[in-house]
Amino acid sequence: MEKIIEVSDISYNYSDDHPKVLKHVSLTINKGEWVSIIGHNGSGKSTLAKCLNGLIIPQEGSVHVGGFDTRDPEHIWEIRRLVGMVFQNPDNQFVGSTVMDDVAFGMENHGIPREEMVRRLHEVLRLVRMDAFADREPYRLSGGQKQRVAIAGIVALQPLIIILDEATSMLDPEGRREIIQTVRSLNKKLGLTVLSITHDLEEAVHADRILVMNQGQVVKKGTPHEIFKTPELLEKIGLDLPFAVKMNGLLRARGIAVTGTALTEEELVNELWTLHSTM
Amino acid sequence: MDITFHNVTHVYHPKTPFERTALDRINLRIRSGSFTSIIGHTGSGKSTLVQHINGLLRPTSGLITAGDLKIQAQKKKQDLKPLRRKIGLVFQYPEHQLFEETVIKDVCFGPMNFGVPSAEATKRAEECLSLVGLPSQFWHQSPFDLSGGQMRRVAIAGVLAVNPEVVILDEPTAGLDPSGRKEILNLFKKLHQEMNLTIIMVTHNMGDAATLSDEVVVMDSGRLVMSGTPEQIFSRDRELRKIGLDVPETMLFLDSLTDKFDQPRMTPVFSLKGTADRIAGLMNGGAADV
Repeated sequence: MEKIIEVSDISYNYSDDHPKVLKHVSLTINKGEWVSIIGHNGSGKSTLAKCLNGLIIPQEGSVHVGGFDTRDPEHIWEIRRLVGMVFQNPDNQFVGSTVMDDVAFGMENHGIPREEMVRRLHEVLRLVRMDAFADREPYRLSGGQKQRVAIAGIVALQPLIIILDEATSMLDPEGRREIIQTVRSLNKKLGLTVLSITHDLEEAVHADRILVMNQGQVVKKGTPHEIFKTPELLEKIGLDLPFAVKMNGLLRARGIAVTGTALTEEELVNELWTLHSTM
Repeated sequence: MDITFHNVTHVYHPKTPFERTALDRINLRIRSGSFTSIIGHTGSGKSTLVQHINGLLRPTSGLITAGDLKIQAQKKKQDLKPLRRKIGLVFQYPEHQLFEETVIKDVCFGPMNFGVPSAEATKRAEECLSLVGLPSQFWHQSPFDLSGGQMRRVAIAGVLAVNPEVVILDEPTAGLDPSGRKEILNLFKKLHQEMNLTIIMVTHNMGDAATLSDEVVVMDSGRLVMSGTPEQIFSRDRELRKIGLDVPETMLFLDSLTDKFDQPRMTPVFSLKGTADRIAGLMNGGAADV
């Protein structure tokens, strides 16, 4: 497996009189993976994300992106192209007066030739299903549509990895579903590597791997099934469990012998059906 | 105090190419002491509706009454101070409006603006900060050094310090993490129950609307399309879906379960425990409704 990001034992604090927000964090992300980092506000998730594109250089340890060291100022712009970030508030990341202008902005900045730019522009807008909105003014779009345009602008730069930093937390449920679908299709169709930083565990269950952060440390890593095997830990650090996981516990308390492996509602419905048929 | 809307219409940018009817002949009564949730798709008119209640927006036509105060379409500016003292509005992302040097000064700003003497305002500010659960160690710090959830609680304390009878919340938990969300919602539940505050909440979260409110109001394209108890509203799932809304996750789950079991749909249930009881009933007896 090709490593895209390698974080080795990093620690960071914003200033000397503040406590460390990251404490000896190590992780690797492989090409084509969808990884979720979960943790409550203040757990260090967003600081970690800023280390991955060189916005923050940790005081200890190193971060390598596509083989480049973020401490090396010579490669910082290449690193920022390789690591695309989508932030929480869709209104804070628009610069263009139309959807098309906005997506083109990043490409112009990176000196991509015009013909290539036009080609990619249409391709990425199709990928996020916003091609019908190319001439629209961004402020007239819904939150979910704005975030899809932001994603298109990043995908147009052909990054190695896209980082979603709480990108769904300001959206309504429909907007949230739109973004998860879009990201999943980019991950499957283009093989784009995705790192999603979130406190929405319903979203995290769709990832290939989950890292749990608390007080600046990665306290658990594993597949969604491994992570939700011990829901007590997640509850203890203030995270809200997915509906199916909460139901598992309540059903067992009522004498229904569910295995506790169902993470999505669909899985739980199927398990209950199988259980019922054999009763 | 009861709040009523009589045939209220609001038109944005009238007589321009951008003219848009944001509220279309709204009739509504919000009972004193009730907890009312307003749900609707983005752009359905929810925020426009609540901004009429404390006179931030004035109707193009129609009349709103709040207790014995009236707001109606008219050219002459009326004195809205008595209205705003009784009806507090917590905007979306209220922490963006914090501005003072210290937390306590920020909370005092509202009452002092309404003529409350400094000593009394400070006393109220301290009470309200305790009520929202912000430890006293933070009171003399800059509000900008606090976490997002703490800042939001300071902003809410600032509204409560004016001693309103009605509090309007425009998506009070947007952007908060799950523990922050839970804290804020529990706070409003407590204020509603213990202090008998009338609460009007705009929300996207169907679960919150179902579990917290006495009354749910549904908006679509500027029109009030339904109002009733959570049970009444959420049993009309087909109509809700047509206007881009959904039912709480407990009901979504039971619906897919009963479909799979080829059983009739169940009546609305909103709590997790209630849902588990229904599932147990279905598994043990096969009878869908218990």
